[in-house]
Amino acid sequence: MIDYPILSLLIWLPIAGGAVLLAMDALGNKACRETALVISIVTFALSISLYTYFDTSTATMQFQENIPWIAAFSANYHLGVDGISMPLIILTTFTTVLVVLAGWQVIRDKTAQYLAAFLVMEGLMNGVFAALDAVLFYVFWEAMLIPMFLIIGVWGGPRRVYATIKFFLYTFLGSVFMLVALIYMYLKSGSFSILDFHLLPLGLTEQTLIFLAFLLAFAVKVPMWPVHTWLPDAHVEAPTGGSVILAAIMLKIGGYGFLRFSLPITPDASHALDWLIILMSLVAVVYIGFVALVQSDMKKLIAYSSIAHMGFVTLGIFLVFTLLDNSGSVEGAALGMEGGMVQMISHGFISGALFLCVGVLYDRVHSREISAYGGVVNTMPVFAAFMVLFAMANSGLPGTSGFVGEFMVILASFKANFWFALLAATTLILGAAYSLWMVKRVVFGDIANDNVRQLEDINGREFFILASLALVVLLFGLWPAPLVEVMHASVDNLLLHLSVSKLPHPETGVALLQAVRP
Amino acid sequence: MSIPLSDFMLFMPEVFVLCMTCAILVLEAFFGQRRPQLSYVLAQLTLLAAALISAGTLDTGRTLALGGMFVHDPMAALLKTSIFLVVVGAFAYARSYLTEQGALRGEYYVLGLFAVLGMQVMVSAHSLLTIYLGLELLSLSLYAMVAFDRDSGSASEAAMKYFVLGALASGMLLYGMSMIYGATGSLDITRIAAVIGGAQDKDTILVFGLCFIVVGLAFKFGAVPFHMWVPDVYHGAPTAVTLFIGSAPKIAAFAMAMRLLTEALGGLSVDWQGMLAILSVLSLAIGNVIAIAQTNMKRMLAYSTISHVGFLLLGILSGTAQGYSAAMFYAITYALMAIGGFGIIILLSRAGYEADRLDDFKGLNDRSPWFALMMLILMFSMAGVPPTVGFYAKLSVLQAVINVDMLWLALVAVFFSIIGAFYYIRVVKLMYFDTPETDEPLAISPDLQIAVSLNGLIVLGLGLFPGGLLALCNSVLA
Amino acid sequence: MNGITMKMIYLAIPLAPLLGAIFAGLVGRHIGRVGAHTVTILGVATSCVLSFLVLKQFAIDGAEPWNGTVYTWMVSEGVRFEVGFLIDKLTALMMAVVTFVSLMVHIYTIGYMHDDPGYQRFFSYIALFTFSMLMLVMSNNFLQLFFGWEAVGLVSYLLIGFWYTRPSAIYANLKAFLVNRVGDFGFLLGIAAIYMAFNSMDYATVFAAAPAQQGVMFQVIPGVDWSLMSVICILLFIGAMGKSAQVPLHVWLPDSMEGPTPISALIHAATMVTAGIFMVARMSPLFELSETALVFVMVIGAITALFMGFLGIVQNDIKRVVAYSTLSQLGYMTVALGVSAYAAGIFHLMTHAFFKALLFLGAGSVIIAMHHDQDIRNMGGLRKYMPITWITSLVGSLALIGTPFFSGFYSKDTIIEAVRHSHLPGAGLVYLAVLAGVFITALYSFRMYFLVFHGEPRMDAHTREHLHETPWVVTGPLIMLAIPSVLAGYLIDPVVFGDWFQGVIHVAANHDVLTEIGEHYHGPVSFVLHAFGGPAVYLAIAGVLTAWYVYMKNPQIADNIRQRFNGLYQLLVNKYYADDFNEAVFAGGARGIGQLLWRVGDVLLIDGLFVNGSARVVGWTAGIVRRIQTGHLYTYAFSMIIGLLLMLFWFVFRATGAAA
Repeated sequence: MIDYPILSLLIWLPIAGGAVLLAMDALGNKACRETALVISIVTFALSISLYTYFDTSTATMQFQENIPWIAAFSANYHLGVDGISMPLIILTTFTTVLVVLAGWQVIRDKTAQYLAAFLVMEGLMNGVFAALDAVLFYVFWEAMLIPMFLIIGVWGGPRRVYATIKFFLYTFLGSVFMLVALIYMYLKSGSFSILDFHLLPLGLTEQTLIFLAFLLAFAVKVPMWPVHTWLPDAHVEAPTGGSVILAAIMLKIGGYGFLRFSLPITPDASHALDWLIILMSLVAVVYIGFVALVQSDMKKLIAYSSIAHMGFVTLGIFLVFTLLDNSGSVEGAALGMEGGMVQMISHGFISGALFLCVGVLYDRVHSREISAYGGVVNTMPVFAAFMVLFAMANSGLPGTSGFVGEFMVILASFKANFWFALLAATTLILGAAYSLWMVKRVVFGDIANDNVRQLEDINGREFFILASLALVVLLFGLWPAPLVEVMHASVDNLLLHLSVSKLPHPETGVALLQAVRP
Repeated sequence: MSIPLSDFMLFMPEVFVLCMTCAILVLEAFFGQRRPQLSYVLAQLTLLAAALISAGTLDTGRTLALGGMFVHDPMAALLKTSIFLVVVGAFAYARSYLTEQGALRGEYYVLGLFAVLGMQVMVSAHSLLTIYLGLELLSLSLYAMVAFDRDSGSASEAAMKYFVLGALASGMLLYGMSMIYGATGSLDITRIAAVIGGAQDKDTILVFGLCFIVVGLAFKFGAVPFHMWVPDVYHGAPTAVTLFIGSAPKIAAFAMAMRLLTEALGGLSVDWQGMLAILSVLSLAIGNVIAIAQTNMKRMLAYSTISHVGFLLLGILSGTAQGYSAAMFYAITYALMAIGGFGIIILLSRAGYEADRLDDFKGLNDRSPWFALMMLILMFSMAGVPPTVGFYAKLSVLQAVINVDMLWLALVAVFFSIIGAFYYIRVVKLMYFDTPETDEPLAISPDLQIAVSLNGLIVLGLGLFPGGLLALCNSVLA
Repeated sequence: MNGITMKMIYLAIPLAPLLGAIFAGLVGRHIGRVGAHTVTILGVATSCVLSFLVLKQFAIDGAEPWNGTVYTWMVSEGVRFEVGFLIDKLTALMMAVVTFVSLMVHIYTIGYMHDDPGYQRFFSYIALFTFSMLMLVMSNNFLQLFFGWEAVGLVSYLLIGFWYTRPSAIYANLKAFLVNRVGDFGFLLGIAAIYMAFNSMDYATVFAAAPAQQGVMFQVIPGVDWSLMSVICILLFIGAMGKSAQVPLHVWLPDSMEGPTPISALIHAATMVTAGIFMVARMSPLFELSETALVFVMVIGAITALFMGFLGIVQNDIKRVVAYSTLSQLGYMTVALGVSAYAAGIFHLMTHAFFKALLFLGAGSVIIAMHHDQDIRNMGGLRKYMPITWITSLVGSLALIGTPFFSGFYSKDTIIEAVRHSHLPGAGLVYLAVLAGVFITALYSFRMYFLVFHGEPRMDAHTREHLHETPWVVTGPLIMLAIPSVLAGYLIDPVVFGDWFQGVIHVAANHDVLTEIGEHYHGPVSFVLHAFGGPAVYLAIAGVLTAWYVYMKNPQIADNIRQRFNGLYQLLVNKYYADDFNEAVFAGGARGIGQLLWRVGDVLLIDGLFVNGSARVVGWTAGIVRRIQTGHLYTYAFSMIIGLLLMLFWFVFRATGAAA
């Protein structure tokens, strides 16, 4: 076991680092960059020990820290991770390193602030994943908006003002109603502990209202159709690093919310309304798939594909109840739920990689329009290889991590309902269509114009970034076991919890309980 | 357990402030020209000392004095302390403003101190009469302060409006009080409460009077539809004065509401809850919506004040100790944010130029990252975004409201706070995303720098560790 | 040899080419051309030798099938997703074919791609393909099958688009990948259905449990009961239709000829396209449980066999002629699967792999000589200039049309016989179709043969001067492939009528046509004699004669026919308008839907109406409401009074009124 407060370190080290950077502004960009890099690497290294010391046999929260914080709300500074949150934290720390590197030469204006914003983001996001106290969670959850707001707004593109305000208000809208729900539960349970919320008995009406409040918050973050329109704008305007963080991590917070809040706190409402989520997810996969097909802006295209891929996350997570209704047991649900979680991680890598690829091109040609490119492979063969690889991963090619999650979810959804699987599987065609059509128009073909002719292939720094992502994508594609096994205990526990109704008449629940694998 | 104090010790702060104010008045008259900073220094010392004194009495229990006209209780102690400290801040900001505007006259501090005295009286009043005295002392000083830049037309107009409407409001308040007196036959708060509590069915005359009293309160708070004076006065008055009006008096108004509504007319809570509900919803809606359309920082902050009042009233109308402490927390922290907000305007202002247009904030981050950051903190705090204290203010109010099953009010509140968020983040947008209109460097006096930085950091610090203040607010009302 | 060493050998077989591929791919620039082709050829040669060793063990030493796990990919809910090998006689045969053809193609490539800038990349790709194909055939579970399935698709995508500056090439590879994805869409659903039904990905487990599922019903459309096995098999077969280019998913294969010729030989003739055939044969225990599925398979196969053959007649691109013949032959194999003559299907797969690879490489050799002109109308009389290519191509063509004693004859004739004996509904029509196919095959094959190698040279003077036989690296493989194209037929004994597939391929008794035929089978020679009793041979001869008469004797007939039946001709030249249909309906439709959903759904409704709309409403309200702040004192006072009066009215009079 680790005997120092590792989670606090993972949260506050980057934030403190951010403060230091702001102070270092005068020392010049180089110093700031190096400091930021060191901090992010140290944080990443620390987070690795989360994995190595993680006990996969238990579903209880690990590395817990719990000290009183706000007596008035009996809110505590309570941190801890389980198999659901731990991988996401490592994803965060890993991505941040790459993001810091990605801005290395590009960001010349207010470099210190830029890097500080990202380090603060990192800390806050780790906080969101580690918080076990609702107030603490909400503080991190909301505070996260501020640096992201600045990142897009200060270093963003021409329509950044519209994008940032849309982004901020959209997400703010989502979260305030969640806040009301949290307060309501606090008043019922007398504590803000999320784990207490899990055990809080609630009537179906209460559950439904709370579920909807959560849904609003998390659906916006994921984002699910139809509250997704902030994402393309935010992505298009954001600097590369911003897009990467946004796609790789911020979206996951929505999925995480469903797992940590909606399902365990309002199981019966989730059960009653799972059709809604599944519907929205499938719409996301199909509808957004078609929309992505016709985008002329690479970032918009990838943004839409992110929405489509996140549809698998929500689909996989919410299959459990259909399975319950079919067979009376949650057998098969774990596959879907773990599939959804794997999809979250893998999408973090792949979408991040794709945005970095676009960034590489944008830094050189300063256009995101597909039509501005063509025949890039002629001048940037190495880059082209990466781009094709990640596009393939994006279209779920076996052997890449992009396949694993979709495969698991499709298998599970077939168990639940043939049509779920059928609609979900359309991603095989649509995903390939929009990813590879973009590749065809950007990478392949004859040299389209002088900009492309003058392109230089990626330098060592860019190579390192893309290569490390490629390695991870292939590793988890060829051997997802290490990723999946840390989830088992927590997922089984969650399913066990879900199979028991919170309602006054739990006799159905008992039957289900026995059906679940020990 | 409370140690028996002599009456004098109980209203020690009031006496102290009074004497000092008179002293400063005299000294200013004699040495004002030669020692321009004299009255400022003395005023600050006075306030700090007074703050220490009343802070020292925080844990003494509830005691009456002056034949029941005056009450000392922990709430009074806390509110006075915070008033003193907020005014210290206000004066600190004001000083450099007055220096820059070349209007360095001790009257400001003297009038300010009289206003403080009025607030103290309001806070510690235990009789309708005392309340009224305090209120008038405060108001008259404020009228004078608004008009204090005699060459400014807009200031004079604002003062005029403020005075007339204030007189109207005071009249209504007084009328309401007389009704209560007629119905209960007493001016003493405890006895009024007893009479109302004892009565089997409540007298219509009481509700009738209550309406007038609530109107008086609403005016003081600046709640819709009795808010009309707020934008004009905030806008017209010199920023130093706006900052004063916008901060401490809200705390006093809260005290007044507590004394009148909860202590005296607690028996009529059903009625005043309804009234406050309407007022707060209107204030939330009108305040937030109109603020969007403003191009002037002071006007925008005026409307934002109105919306914050809406939130504050929510706390009071919940009618529980929890709600009151929430409202108290809100009042205090809001005063903090308000002086900060106006302080930044002062910070941007130059001799003969009030930087109170939104556009004056363009590109502040390029001109001074640090103060941009402070303003960012203040703005997000007003918007109620963690990790700033503004969030906990809203959180505790919402919690109080939901606790008494007024979920709909909570939903209304959060809905309008979304709209509200827009104009706060618009300021952030101006500071960070836009390029400055002027590239001339900020000339900021060191004490102003310290004041702003402290102010921002306190707002942030209380946002990270709000526990202490929250606990304090709870305890004084326990 | 003991288990461990065997496992090592089995591991080495796919990994050797993989290592070659990685090496050539990553450091190709540094090790140069020779280095690149050396490592890859070494890798493939290793796995070829080992494959033949494995084959020998089964053929001679009578080794037992080997079914083992290499590593556990993932475990979820106790279901193990693994990577593992199932090595039995079917696998061994496929491995031998794949590695042998692949090796030939590798060597051939040295000559064919001699001065191509992407030399190393090319070797890396084909070695990678060999790895993927081996993973596919050696798999012992559905997960790995799907992996190999998609991996070969990926390599095919990369290789069709190898000359990435050609618009036609990158159009073709995208098309190929997407059409294949349509198949995989069904295939993946099939795998999901298997997971649902059997809770396992492992062949052995699934096959063992399959019979129990025969009666089980499954509702795709609520209220409509379908046999679960039929659903599973048809879904799986949709995958096969994509890979093995069966109508209507055949459209990608002709375009795939945009890739370099060695690829057309290796991937789009010999190996990858036959993956579907292999898969169905592998799944015989499942397909045998669903007559519906079998009929479906048979009919699709017949349609492909006949109608793709027609198209071969009107093609003028030498590679496309061979491509359509490939399609048609794949149809034959599919028909064989449909009538449960899996062995015959696999047998034809094998012989076809040899002679079709031969034909492609021969065509490639011609193309080299013709300086990459592929139009047969510009050729003619080449036999004088390139004898080896000529002879070997002739051998290939003879094998293709099923000339007695050539390999093609045995495999194809068995299929035709099998169809004749089949009792499946519709087998009669299918029989006619495959017979007609024989004539067509002979016709287009020899049309090409004559136009290329005989008659007057029609190429321009310059090309003619430079005409000469291609180097040994090209002709060598031709000869190496010509040999099995002739001799492989004699394996009919063990493979089809012997017990080679005993326990590997499962055939239900009532479908077992091959045993029926086998009853009066007495060795290869008598098989030939017996064949002369049937129409097939005569049809083939007729085809050749027609080709000779129409295209050598008096060519104007061809033109007359063309004029006479112009409508029909147009239909064929436009490939039944399948491409235009797909382009208009599916590609265009998808883009249309996308535009609609985006412009109307996202931009207009969600963003325009709700998001920006609400923002605009608030702003507008603010603009209105601010007007109450007139700045006039009396309005302010007035509003206070009104406020007061309303409060009085509401709380005093109304309240008391209610009370009274």
